[in-house]
Amino acid sequence: MAATDSTKPQARRSDQTKFWFLGPAVVWILVFTIFPLLYALYTSFFSFRFGKINQFVGLANFGRLFTDANLHNGLRVTLTFVIITVTIQMLLGFGLALLLNREMRGKNILRAIMILPLFATPVAMGYLGITLFYEINGPINELIRAFGGSDIPWLSNPFWAQVAIILIDIWQWTPFVFLVSLAALQGLPADLFEAAEVDGASGWQSFRRITLPLMAPVLWLILLLRLVEAFKVFDIPTSLTLGGPGRATEVYSLFTYRTALRFFDHGYAAAQGFLLLLIVSLIVGLLFGRIRSIYQEERN
Amino acid sequence: MRRKTSPIQSILIGGIMFVALLWVLFPFYWAFLNSIKKPADTFRAGAWIPFLQFQPTLEHWISELSIIEIRQALINSTIISLGAATLSVLLGTLAAYALARFRFGKSGNSNFTTWFISQRILPPVVVVIPFFLIMRQLQLLDNVFSLVLLNATFTLPFPVIILSQMIRELPPELEEAAYVDGASVFQGFTRVVLPLILPGLVATWIICMAFSWNEFLFALSLTTKSAIPMPVIIAGAEHTRGVQFWFVGVRVMLTMLPPIVFALLAQRYIIRGLTLGAVKG
Repeated sequence: MAATDSTKPQARRSDQTKFWFLGPAVVWILVFTIFPLLYALYTSFFSFRFGKINQFVGLANFGRLFTDANLHNGLRVTLTFVIITVTIQMLLGFGLALLLNREMRGKNILRAIMILPLFATPVAMGYLGITLFYEINGPINELIRAFGGSDIPWLSNPFWAQVAIILIDIWQWTPFVFLVSLAALQGLPADLFEAAEVDGASGWQSFRRITLPLMAPVLWLILLLRLVEAFKVFDIPTSLTLGGPGRATEVYSLFTYRTALRFFDHGYAAAQGFLLLLIVSLIVGLLFGRIRSIYQEERN
Repeated sequence: MRRKTSPIQSILIGGIMFVALLWVLFPFYWAFLNSIKKPADTFRAGAWIPFLQFQPTLEHWISELSIIEIRQALINSTIISLGAATLSVLLGTLAAYALARFRFGKSGNSNFTTWFISQRILPPVVVVIPFFLIMRQLQLLDNVFSLVLLNATFTLPFPVIILSQMIRELPPELEEAAYVDGASVFQGFTRVVLPLILPGLVATWIICMAFSWNEFLFALSLTTKSAIPMPVIIAGAEHTRGVQFWFVGVRVMLTMLPPIVFALLAQRYIIRGLTLGAVKG
Protein backbone atom coordinates (compact mmCIF):
# COMPACT_ATOMS: atom_id res chain seq x y z
CA MET A 1 0.00 0.00 0.00
CA ALA A 2 2.96 2.30 0.51
CA ALA A 3 4.17 4.27 -2.48
CA THR A 4 7.83 4.02 -1.60
CA ASP A 5 10.23 6.60 -2.82
CA SER A 6 13.09 4.62 -4.33
CA THR A 7 15.54 7.53 -4.25
CA LYS A 8 15.66 7.37 -0.46
CA PRO A 9 17.55 4.31 0.73
CA GLN A 10 15.80 4.18 4.07
CA ALA A 11 12.42 4.08 2.37
CA ARG A 12 13.45 0.88 0.59
CA ARG A 13 14.87 -0.72 3.71
CA SER A 14 11.94 0.01 5.89
CA ASP A 15 8.75 -1.16 4.22
CA GLN A 16 8.04 -3.21 7.30
CA THR A 17 10.02 -1.29 9.89
CA LYS A 18 8.01 1.92 9.55
CA PHE A 19 4.90 0.20 10.84
CA TRP A 20 6.78 -0.83 13.96
CA PHE A 21 7.46 2.84 14.61
CA LEU A 22 3.96 4.14 13.95
CA GLY A 23 1.99 1.10 15.07
CA PRO A 24 2.18 1.36 18.87
CA ALA A 25 0.85 4.93 18.99
CA VAL A 26 -1.95 4.14 16.53
CA VAL A 27 -3.00 1.02 18.42
CA TRP A 28 -2.82 2.98 21.69
CA ILE A 29 -5.17 5.69 20.41
CA LEU A 30 -7.54 3.08 18.96
CA VAL A 31 -7.69 1.28 22.30
CA PHE A 32 -8.02 4.34 24.49
CA THR A 33 -10.20 6.69 22.48
CA ILE A 34 -11.93 4.92 19.62
CA PHE A 35 -12.95 1.89 21.68
CA PRO A 36 -14.31 4.03 24.57
CA LEU A 37 -16.24 6.13 22.06
CA LEU A 38 -17.84 3.00 20.61
CA TYR A 39 -18.56 1.76 24.11
CA ALA A 40 -20.17 5.13 24.92
CA LEU A 41 -22.32 4.79 21.81
CA TYR A 42 -23.41 1.31 22.95
CA THR A 43 -24.09 2.68 26.44
CA SER A 44 -26.27 5.46 25.07
CA PHE A 45 -28.84 2.94 23.82
CA PHE A 46 -29.54 1.61 27.31
CA SER A 47 -31.14 2.91 30.46
CA PHE A 48 -29.26 2.41 33.72
CA ARG A 49 -30.57 1.89 37.22
CA PHE A 50 -28.18 2.03 40.15
CA GLY A 51 -25.24 1.79 37.76
CA LYS A 52 -26.44 -1.47 36.19
CA ILE A 53 -27.70 -1.87 32.66
CA ASN A 54 -31.47 -1.94 32.90
CA GLN A 55 -32.92 -2.22 29.41
CA PHE A 56 -32.48 -1.33 25.76
CA VAL A 57 -34.23 1.95 25.05
CA GLY A 58 -33.15 2.65 21.47
CA LEU A 59 -32.86 6.36 20.80
CA ALA A 60 -34.81 7.44 23.88
CA ASN A 61 -31.73 8.91 25.57
CA PHE A 62 -31.10 11.06 22.51
CA GLY A 63 -34.76 12.11 22.52
CA ARG A 64 -34.37 13.44 26.07
CA LEU A 65 -31.73 15.88 24.80
CA PHE A 66 -34.46 17.95 23.16
CA THR A 67 -36.71 18.37 26.17
CA ASP A 68 -34.35 18.62 29.16
CA ALA A 69 -34.46 22.19 30.46
CA ASN A 70 -31.41 21.65 32.69
CA LEU A 71 -29.37 20.43 29.73
CA HIS A 72 -30.43 23.49 27.75
CA ASN A 73 -29.39 25.62 30.70
CA GLY A 74 -25.94 23.98 30.63
CA LEU A 75 -25.69 24.61 26.92
CA ARG A 76 -26.68 28.25 27.34
CA VAL A 77 -24.24 28.82 30.23
CA THR A 78 -21.43 27.20 28.25
CA LEU A 79 -22.17 29.15 25.05
CA THR A 80 -22.25 32.44 26.96
CA PHE A 81 -18.98 31.54 28.65
CA VAL A 82 -17.32 30.51 25.38
CA ILE A 83 -18.39 33.55 23.39
CA ILE A 84 -17.47 36.12 26.05
CA THR A 85 -14.16 34.61 27.19
CA VAL A 86 -12.84 33.81 23.73
CA THR A 87 -13.78 37.23 22.31
CA ILE A 88 -12.12 39.11 25.16
CA GLN A 89 -9.05 36.86 25.13
CA MET A 90 -8.57 37.30 21.38
CA LEU A 91 -8.92 41.09 21.46
CA LEU A 92 -6.86 41.62 24.60
CA GLY A 93 -4.14 39.11 23.74
CA PHE A 94 -3.67 40.22 20.14
CA GLY A 95 -3.90 43.88 21.13
CA LEU A 96 -1.19 43.49 23.76
CA ALA A 97 1.00 41.59 21.31
CA LEU A 98 0.69 44.42 18.75
CA LEU A 99 1.60 46.99 21.42
CA LEU A 100 4.62 45.09 22.68
CA ASN A 101 5.91 43.92 19.31
CA ARG A 102 9.06 46.05 19.34
CA GLU A 103 12.61 45.96 20.53
CA MET A 104 12.54 46.26 24.29
CA ARG A 105 14.31 45.21 27.41
CA GLY A 106 12.98 42.47 29.64
CA LYS A 107 11.24 40.57 26.86
CA ASN A 108 12.40 37.21 28.17
CA ILE A 109 11.18 37.95 31.69
CA LEU A 110 7.85 39.10 30.27
CA ARG A 111 7.52 35.85 28.34
CA ALA A 112 8.45 33.72 31.35
CA ILE A 113 5.84 35.44 33.52
CA MET A 114 3.15 35.23 30.84
CA ILE A 115 3.68 31.45 30.66
CA LEU A 116 2.80 30.99 34.34
CA PRO A 117 -1.02 31.24 34.10
CA LEU A 118 -1.10 28.69 31.25
CA PHE A 119 0.25 26.03 33.57
CA ALA A 120 -1.42 27.05 36.82
CA THR A 121 -3.62 24.07 37.72
CA PRO A 122 -7.15 25.26 36.73
CA VAL A 123 -8.88 23.55 39.63
CA ALA A 124 -6.41 25.19 42.05
CA MET A 125 -7.24 28.54 40.44
CA GLY A 126 -10.90 27.86 41.16
CA TYR A 127 -10.21 27.28 44.86
CA LEU A 128 -7.91 30.26 44.98
CA GLY A 129 -10.79 32.18 43.37
CA ILE A 130 -12.95 31.47 46.43
CA THR A 131 -10.49 33.53 48.48
CA LEU A 132 -9.90 36.18 45.79
CA PHE A 133 -13.62 36.79 45.23
CA TYR A 134 -14.56 36.43 48.90
CA GLU A 135 -17.33 38.91 49.45
CA ILE A 136 -16.37 40.27 52.86
CA ASN A 137 -12.85 41.71 52.87
CA GLY A 138 -11.69 39.62 49.90
CA PRO A 139 -8.84 41.38 48.05
CA ILE A 140 -10.88 42.18 44.94
CA ASN A 141 -13.74 43.74 46.88
CA GLU A 142 -11.16 45.54 49.03
CA LEU A 143 -9.65 47.07 45.88
CA ILE A 144 -13.07 48.03 44.57
CA ARG A 145 -13.84 49.74 47.88
CA ALA A 146 -10.48 51.55 47.76
CA PHE A 147 -11.54 53.06 44.43
CA GLY A 148 -14.86 54.13 45.91
CA GLY A 149 -17.04 51.24 44.72
CA SER A 150 -19.22 49.01 46.86
CA ASP A 151 -18.85 45.29 47.56
CA ILE A 152 -19.83 42.99 44.71
CA PRO A 153 -21.67 39.75 45.60
CA TRP A 154 -19.28 37.71 43.45
CA LEU A 155 -20.25 34.19 44.41
CA SER A 156 -23.76 34.54 45.79
CA ASN A 157 -25.28 36.35 42.82
CA PRO A 158 -25.94 34.34 39.62
CA PHE A 159 -24.76 37.11 37.29
CA TRP A 160 -21.56 37.93 39.20
CA ALA A 161 -20.72 34.24 39.65
CA GLN A 162 -20.64 33.94 35.87
CA VAL A 163 -18.46 37.03 35.69
CA ALA A 164 -16.06 35.53 38.26
CA ILE A 165 -15.63 32.35 36.20
CA ILE A 166 -15.14 34.34 33.03
CA LEU A 167 -12.52 36.53 34.75
CA ILE A 168 -10.45 33.55 35.88
CA ASP A 169 -10.53 32.03 32.41
CA ILE A 170 -9.51 35.36 30.89
CA TRP A 171 -6.66 35.58 33.39
CA GLN A 172 -5.54 32.09 32.49
CA TRP A 173 -5.74 32.12 28.69
CA THR A 174 -5.20 35.70 27.50
CA PRO A 175 -1.42 35.12 27.89
CA PHE A 176 -1.74 32.21 25.46
CA VAL A 177 -3.24 34.43 22.75
CA PHE A 178 -0.64 37.07 23.56
CA LEU A 179 2.39 34.76 23.41
CA VAL A 180 1.35 33.00 20.22
CA SER A 181 0.43 36.26 18.45
CA LEU A 182 3.70 37.85 19.55
CA ALA A 183 5.73 34.88 18.27
CA ALA A 184 3.89 35.02 14.95
CA LEU A 185 4.23 38.82 14.67
CA GLN A 186 7.96 38.58 15.19
CA GLY A 187 8.18 36.02 12.42
CA LEU A 188 6.67 38.43 9.87
CA PRO A 189 9.16 39.69 7.25
CA ALA A 190 10.44 43.11 8.38
CA ASP A 191 11.32 44.29 4.85
CA LEU A 192 7.62 44.34 3.90
CA PHE A 193 6.95 46.92 6.59
CA GLU A 194 10.03 48.93 5.65
CA ALA A 195 8.92 49.00 2.01
CA ALA A 196 5.45 50.11 3.05
CA GLU A 197 6.94 52.88 5.17
CA VAL A 198 9.11 54.08 2.28
CA ASP A 199 5.96 54.19 0.13
CA GLY A 200 4.39 56.43 2.76
CA ALA A 201 1.90 53.98 4.23
CA SER A 202 0.48 55.02 7.59
CA GLY A 203 0.66 52.74 10.61
CA TRP A 204 -3.00 51.88 10.21
CA GLN A 205 -2.58 51.12 6.50
CA SER A 206 0.32 48.73 7.01
CA PHE A 207 -1.61 47.05 9.84
CA ARG A 208 -4.72 46.68 7.69
CA ARG A 209 -2.91 45.65 4.47
CA ILE A 210 0.10 43.69 5.71
CA THR A 211 -0.18 42.60 9.34
CA LEU A 212 -3.78 41.40 9.33
CA PRO A 213 -3.66 39.36 6.10
CA LEU A 214 -0.35 37.74 7.09
CA MET A 215 -1.56 37.01 10.62
CA ALA A 216 -4.99 35.73 9.56
CA PRO A 217 -4.15 31.99 9.48
CA VAL A 218 -2.48 32.14 12.90
CA LEU A 219 -5.37 34.13 14.36
CA TRP A 220 -7.86 31.60 13.01
CA LEU A 221 -5.78 28.83 14.55
CA ILE A 222 -5.67 30.53 17.96
CA LEU A 223 -9.43 31.11 17.74
CA LEU A 224 -10.03 27.44 16.90
CA LEU A 225 -7.81 26.16 19.73
CA ARG A 226 -9.40 28.52 22.23
CA LEU A 227 -12.96 27.60 21.14
CA VAL A 228 -12.26 23.89 21.45
CA GLU A 229 -10.70 24.28 24.89
CA ALA A 230 -13.38 26.68 26.14
CA PHE A 231 -16.16 24.20 25.28
CA LYS A 232 -14.46 21.66 27.56
CA VAL A 233 -14.71 24.03 30.56
CA PHE A 234 -15.21 22.04 33.76
CA ASP A 235 -12.52 22.61 36.39
CA ILE A 236 -13.11 26.26 37.30
CA PRO A 237 -16.91 26.24 37.73
CA THR A 238 -16.69 22.91 39.54
CA SER A 239 -14.22 24.25 42.09
CA LEU A 240 -15.18 27.93 42.35
CA THR A 241 -18.98 27.84 42.39
CA LEU A 242 -20.02 24.15 42.23
CA GLY A 243 -22.21 25.20 39.31
CA GLY A 244 -24.17 27.61 41.47
CA PRO A 245 -25.77 29.68 42.76
CA GLY A 246 -28.69 27.57 41.54
CA ARG A 247 -27.58 26.43 38.12
CA ALA A 248 -26.11 29.78 37.05
CA THR A 249 -22.65 28.34 36.36
CA GLU A 250 -23.53 24.71 35.71
CA VAL A 251 -21.63 24.35 32.45
CA TYR A 252 -22.31 21.51 30.03
CA SER A 253 -19.48 19.21 31.15
CA LEU A 254 -20.42 19.65 34.80
CA PHE A 255 -24.05 18.80 34.06
CA THR A 256 -23.01 15.68 32.14
CA TYR A 257 -20.57 14.70 34.89
CA ARG A 258 -23.36 14.94 37.44
CA THR A 259 -25.76 12.98 35.24
CA ALA A 260 -23.20 10.18 35.00
CA LEU A 261 -21.51 10.03 38.37
CA ARG A 262 -24.01 11.48 40.77
CA PHE A 263 -27.26 10.19 39.27
CA PHE A 264 -25.65 7.16 37.56
CA ASP A 265 -27.70 7.82 34.44
CA HIS A 266 -24.85 6.60 32.23
CA GLY A 267 -26.88 6.09 29.05
CA TYR A 268 -28.26 9.61 29.06
CA ALA A 269 -24.86 11.09 30.00
CA ALA A 270 -23.29 9.28 27.04
CA ALA A 271 -25.91 10.77 24.74
CA GLN A 272 -25.12 14.23 26.17
CA GLY A 273 -21.45 13.62 25.47
CA PHE A 274 -22.16 12.93 21.82
CA LEU A 275 -24.15 16.15 21.49
CA LEU A 276 -21.14 18.10 22.82
CA LEU A 277 -18.81 16.20 20.50
CA LEU A 278 -21.11 17.05 17.58
CA ILE A 279 -21.10 20.77 18.46
CA VAL A 280 -17.31 20.92 18.83
CA SER A 281 -16.78 18.91 15.63
CA LEU A 282 -19.04 21.29 13.70
CA ILE A 283 -16.99 24.27 14.86
CA VAL A 284 -13.73 22.57 13.97
CA GLY A 285 -15.17 21.58 10.59
CA LEU A 286 -16.21 25.16 9.88
CA LEU A 287 -12.85 26.66 10.84
CA PHE A 288 -10.40 23.97 9.80
CA GLY A 289 -10.36 25.04 6.15
CA ARG A 290 -8.92 28.38 7.18
CA ILE A 291 -5.96 26.94 9.04
CA ARG A 292 -5.19 23.98 6.78
CA SER A 293 -2.47 26.02 5.05
CA ILE A 294 -0.46 26.31 8.29
CA TYR A 295 -0.14 22.59 8.68
CA GLN A 296 0.46 21.92 5.01
CA GLU A 297 3.54 24.14 4.92
CA GLU A 298 5.13 21.70 7.31
CA ARG A 299 4.88 18.75 4.94
CA ASN A 300 7.86 17.71 2.91
CA MET B 1 5.27 48.28 12.73
CA ARG B 2 8.62 48.66 14.35
CA ARG B 3 8.67 52.41 14.24
CA LYS B 4 10.84 54.48 16.49
CA THR B 5 9.34 54.84 19.93
CA SER B 6 8.93 58.30 21.43
CA PRO B 7 9.57 58.80 25.19
CA ILE B 8 5.85 59.23 25.88
CA GLN B 9 5.10 56.03 24.04
CA SER B 10 7.71 54.09 25.96
CA ILE B 11 6.29 55.32 29.27
CA LEU B 12 2.81 54.29 28.11
CA ILE B 13 4.04 50.87 27.02
CA GLY B 14 5.98 50.44 30.23
CA GLY B 15 2.81 51.27 32.16
CA ILE B 16 0.75 48.73 30.23
CA MET B 17 3.42 46.07 30.78
CA PHE B 18 3.51 46.85 34.48
CA VAL B 19 -0.27 46.52 34.84
CA ALA B 20 -0.25 43.27 32.83
CA LEU B 21 2.46 41.75 35.02
CA LEU B 22 0.69 42.84 38.20
CA TRP B 23 -2.55 41.27 36.92
CA VAL B 24 -0.76 38.00 36.10
CA LEU B 25 1.23 37.76 39.32
CA PHE B 26 -1.33 38.94 41.87
CA PRO B 27 -3.26 35.63 42.24
CA PHE B 28 -0.01 33.75 42.91
CA TYR B 29 0.94 36.33 45.51
CA TRP B 30 -2.45 36.01 47.17
CA ALA B 31 -2.21 32.18 47.26
CA PHE B 32 1.13 32.54 48.98
CA LEU B 33 -0.27 35.09 51.47
CA ASN B 34 -3.18 32.78 52.34
CA SER B 35 -0.74 30.01 53.14
CA ILE B 36 1.25 32.08 55.64
CA LYS B 37 -1.56 33.99 57.36
CA LYS B 38 -2.96 33.14 60.74
CA PRO B 39 -6.67 32.23 60.42
CA ALA B 40 -7.86 35.55 61.90
CA ASP B 41 -5.80 37.55 59.37
CA THR B 42 -7.36 35.81 56.36
CA PHE B 43 -10.75 37.35 57.02
CA ARG B 44 -9.40 40.79 57.90
CA ALA B 45 -9.15 43.73 55.50
CA GLY B 46 -5.80 45.43 54.97
CA ALA B 47 -3.56 42.39 55.36
CA TRP B 48 -1.54 42.53 52.15
CA ILE B 49 2.07 42.86 53.25
CA PRO B 50 3.69 40.29 55.58
CA PHE B 51 5.52 41.61 58.71
CA LEU B 52 4.13 45.13 58.18
CA GLN B 53 0.41 44.37 58.23
CA PHE B 54 0.33 40.89 59.72
CA GLN B 55 2.66 38.40 61.35
CA PRO B 56 3.34 35.49 58.94
CA THR B 57 3.45 31.88 60.11
CA LEU B 58 4.61 28.58 58.67
CA GLU B 59 2.34 26.47 60.85
CA HIS B 60 -0.13 25.62 58.05
CA TRP B 61 2.69 24.38 55.83
CA ILE B 62 3.97 22.19 58.60
CA SER B 63 0.58 20.82 59.59
CA GLU B 64 -0.55 20.23 55.99
CA LEU B 65 2.66 18.45 55.04
CA SER B 66 2.31 16.14 58.01
CA ILE B 67 -1.12 14.92 56.82
CA ILE B 68 -0.76 11.43 55.36
CA GLU B 69 -3.42 11.98 52.68
CA ILE B 70 -1.56 15.04 51.40
CA ARG B 71 1.73 13.17 51.20
CA GLN B 72 -0.01 10.31 49.45
CA ALA B 73 -1.60 12.75 46.99
CA LEU B 74 1.81 14.27 46.22
CA ILE B 75 3.20 10.79 45.59
CA ASN B 76 0.19 9.85 43.44
CA SER B 77 0.48 13.01 41.37
CA THR B 78 4.18 12.36 40.87
CA ILE B 79 3.61 8.76 39.76
CA ILE B 80 0.78 9.77 37.42
CA SER B 81 2.63 12.62 35.74
CA LEU B 82 5.99 10.80 35.47
CA GLY B 83 4.40 7.59 34.23
CA ALA B 84 2.01 9.23 31.78
CA ALA B 85 4.65 11.57 30.34
CA THR B 86 7.17 8.77 29.90
CA LEU B 87 4.68 6.49 28.17
CA SER B 88 3.43 9.29 25.99
CA VAL B 89 6.90 10.41 24.92
CA LEU B 90 7.99 6.82 24.29
CA LEU B 91 5.05 6.07 21.97
CA GLY B 92 5.04 9.57 20.54
CA THR B 93 8.72 9.69 19.60
CA LEU B 94 8.47 6.44 17.65
CA ALA B 95 5.39 7.69 15.80
CA ALA B 96 7.05 11.07 15.21
CA TYR B 97 10.02 9.36 13.60
CA ALA B 98 7.74 7.30 11.37
CA LEU B 99 5.77 10.38 10.24
CA ALA B 100 8.91 12.46 9.65
CA ARG B 101 10.98 9.91 7.73
CA PHE B 102 8.72 7.38 6.03
CA ARG B 103 5.88 7.75 3.58
CA PHE B 104 2.52 6.18 4.28
CA GLY B 105 0.72 6.24 0.94
CA LYS B 106 -0.22 9.40 -0.93
CA SER B 107 -1.52 11.55 1.88
CA GLY B 108 -1.21 9.07 4.71
CA ASN B 109 1.29 11.17 6.63
CA SER B 110 -0.88 14.28 6.80
CA ASN B 111 -3.95 12.16 7.56
CA PHE B 112 -2.17 10.50 10.46
CA THR B 113 -0.95 13.88 11.73
CA THR B 114 -4.47 15.33 11.61
CA TRP B 115 -5.78 12.20 13.32
CA PHE B 116 -3.32 12.58 16.17
CA ILE B 117 -4.14 16.29 16.53
CA SER B 118 -7.85 15.50 16.62
CA GLN B 119 -7.35 13.72 19.96
CA ARG B 120 -7.09 17.18 21.51
CA ILE B 121 -10.55 18.09 20.18
CA LEU B 122 -12.43 15.29 21.92
CA PRO B 123 -14.10 16.72 25.07
CA PRO B 124 -12.97 14.54 28.01
CA VAL B 125 -16.49 14.34 29.40
CA VAL B 126 -17.48 12.30 26.32
CA VAL B 127 -15.14 9.46 27.26
CA VAL B 128 -15.23 9.76 31.04
CA ILE B 129 -18.39 7.61 31.20
CA PRO B 130 -17.02 4.64 29.21
CA PHE B 131 -13.71 4.96 31.07
CA PHE B 132 -15.52 4.81 34.38
CA LEU B 133 -17.51 1.74 33.34
CA ILE B 134 -14.50 -0.02 31.80
CA MET B 135 -12.22 0.68 34.77
CA ARG B 136 -14.92 -0.51 37.15
CA GLN B 137 -15.16 -3.73 35.15
CA LEU B 138 -11.38 -4.15 35.27
CA GLN B 139 -11.32 -3.28 39.00
CA LEU B 140 -8.99 -0.39 38.21
CA LEU B 141 -11.07 2.31 39.91
CA ASP B 142 -9.07 4.25 42.51
CA ASN B 143 -5.82 3.02 40.98
CA VAL B 144 -3.08 5.39 39.79
CA PHE B 145 -2.39 2.98 36.93
CA SER B 146 -5.67 3.91 35.19
CA LEU B 147 -4.79 7.60 35.40
CA VAL B 148 -1.32 6.93 33.97
CA LEU B 149 -2.93 5.24 30.95
CA LEU B 150 -5.50 7.98 30.37
CA ASN B 151 -3.10 10.89 30.73
CA ALA B 152 -0.64 9.19 28.40
CA THR B 153 -3.43 8.98 25.83
CA PHE B 154 -4.44 12.60 26.04
CA THR B 155 -0.90 14.01 25.97
CA LEU B 156 0.19 11.78 23.07
CA PRO B 157 -0.45 14.43 20.37
CA PHE B 158 2.24 16.70 21.88
CA PRO B 159 5.30 14.47 21.31
CA VAL B 160 3.99 13.25 17.95
CA ILE B 161 3.57 16.75 16.55
CA ILE B 162 6.49 18.57 18.17
CA LEU B 163 9.08 15.86 17.62
CA SER B 164 8.07 14.96 14.06
CA GLN B 165 8.68 18.61 13.18
CA MET B 166 12.05 18.60 14.86
CA ILE B 167 13.11 15.40 13.10
CA ARG B 168 12.02 16.81 9.73
CA GLU B 169 14.39 19.73 10.33
CA LEU B 170 17.35 17.31 10.54
CA PRO B 171 19.02 16.33 7.25
CA PRO B 172 18.23 12.67 6.34
CA GLU B 173 21.84 12.26 5.18
CA LEU B 174 22.82 11.81 8.82
CA GLU B 175 21.02 8.48 9.05
CA GLU B 176 21.97 7.50 5.52
CA ALA B 177 25.63 7.78 6.50
CA ALA B 178 24.93 5.46 9.43
CA TYR B 179 23.17 2.96 7.13
CA VAL B 180 26.25 2.90 4.91
CA ASP B 181 28.24 1.99 8.02
CA GLY B 182 25.91 -0.95 8.51
CA ALA B 183 23.45 0.47 11.04
CA SER B 184 19.85 -0.78 11.01
CA VAL B 185 16.91 1.62 10.71
CA PHE B 186 16.30 1.30 14.43
CA GLN B 187 19.95 2.01 15.24
CA GLY B 188 19.86 5.03 12.95
CA PHE B 189 16.96 6.28 15.02
CA THR B 190 18.43 5.58 18.47
CA ARG B 191 22.08 6.48 17.81
CA VAL B 192 21.80 9.36 15.34
CA VAL B 193 18.40 11.02 15.67
CA LEU B 194 17.60 10.60 19.37
CA PRO B 195 20.72 12.40 20.67
CA LEU B 196 20.04 15.31 18.30
CA ILE B 197 16.43 15.83 19.38
CA LEU B 198 17.14 15.24 23.07
CA PRO B 199 16.50 18.84 24.24
CA GLY B 200 13.13 18.92 22.47
CA LEU B 201 12.33 15.46 23.76
CA VAL B 202 13.00 16.46 27.36
CA ALA B 203 10.95 19.64 26.94
CA THR B 204 8.04 17.67 25.47
CA TRP B 205 8.26 15.21 28.35
CA ILE B 206 8.07 18.13 30.79
CA ILE B 207 5.04 19.62 29.01
CA CYS B 208 3.28 16.24 29.17
CA MET B 209 4.09 16.01 32.88
CA ALA B 210 2.57 19.42 33.53
CA PHE B 211 -0.62 18.54 31.65
CA SER B 212 -0.96 15.20 33.45
CA TRP B 213 -0.36 16.86 36.81
CA ASN B 214 -3.10 19.43 36.15
CA GLU B 215 -5.72 17.00 34.85
CA PHE B 216 -8.86 17.07 37.00
CA LEU B 217 -11.96 15.48 35.43
CA PHE B 218 -10.59 11.93 35.08
CA ALA B 219 -8.87 12.13 38.45
CA LEU B 220 -12.11 13.21 40.11
CA SER B 221 -14.17 10.52 38.39
CA LEU B 222 -11.84 7.55 38.76
CA THR B 223 -10.41 7.96 42.27
CA THR B 224 -12.10 7.64 45.62
CA LYS B 225 -9.42 7.29 48.29
CA SER B 226 -5.94 5.86 47.93
CA ALA B 227 -5.26 7.06 44.35
CA ILE B 228 -6.40 10.68 44.84
CA PRO B 229 -3.90 13.15 43.30
CA MET B 230 -3.27 16.79 44.29
CA PRO B 231 -5.93 18.54 42.14
CA VAL B 232 -8.64 16.42 43.76
CA ILE B 233 -7.45 16.71 47.36
CA ILE B 234 -7.75 20.51 47.45
CA ALA B 235 -11.48 19.90 47.45
CA GLY B 236 -11.14 17.94 50.69
CA ALA B 237 -10.02 21.05 52.53
CA GLU B 238 -13.02 22.94 51.28
CA HIS B 239 -15.96 20.70 51.80
CA THR B 240 -15.31 18.82 55.01
CA ARG B 241 -14.19 21.72 57.17
CA GLY B 242 -15.80 24.80 55.63
CA VAL B 243 -13.77 27.50 53.92
CA GLN B 244 -10.38 27.33 55.60
CA PHE B 245 -8.35 29.73 53.51
CA TRP B 246 -5.06 28.91 55.16
CA PHE B 247 -5.20 25.18 54.36
CA VAL B 248 -6.58 25.86 50.88
CA GLY B 249 -3.67 28.28 50.44
CA VAL B 250 -1.06 25.62 51.19
CA ARG B 251 -2.75 23.02 48.99
CA VAL B 252 -3.15 25.46 46.12
CA MET B 253 0.55 26.29 46.34
CA LEU B 254 1.58 22.63 46.54
CA THR B 255 -0.60 21.83 43.52
CA MET B 256 0.44 24.75 41.33
CA LEU B 257 4.16 24.91 41.99
CA PRO B 258 5.35 21.77 40.16
CA PRO B 259 3.64 22.39 36.80
CA ILE B 260 4.74 26.03 36.89
CA VAL B 261 8.34 25.05 37.49
CA PHE B 262 8.04 22.47 34.68
CA ALA B 263 6.67 25.14 32.36
CA LEU B 264 9.55 27.49 33.03
CA LEU B 265 12.01 24.67 32.31
CA ALA B 266 10.41 23.92 28.95
CA GLN B 267 9.84 27.57 27.94
CA ARG B 268 11.38 27.39 24.48
CA TYR B 269 9.02 24.68 23.30
CA ILE B 270 5.79 25.79 24.92
CA ILE B 271 4.33 27.86 22.11
CA ARG B 272 5.15 25.14 19.61
CA GLY B 273 3.54 22.63 21.94
CA LEU B 274 0.38 24.56 22.75
CA THR B 275 -0.32 25.40 19.10
CA LEU B 276 0.26 21.76 18.16
CA GLY B 277 3.30 22.64 16.14
CA ALA B 278 1.71 25.41 14.07
CA VAL B 279 3.63 28.37 15.55
CA LYS B 280 7.23 28.25 16.68
CA GLY B 281 7.88 30.57 19.58
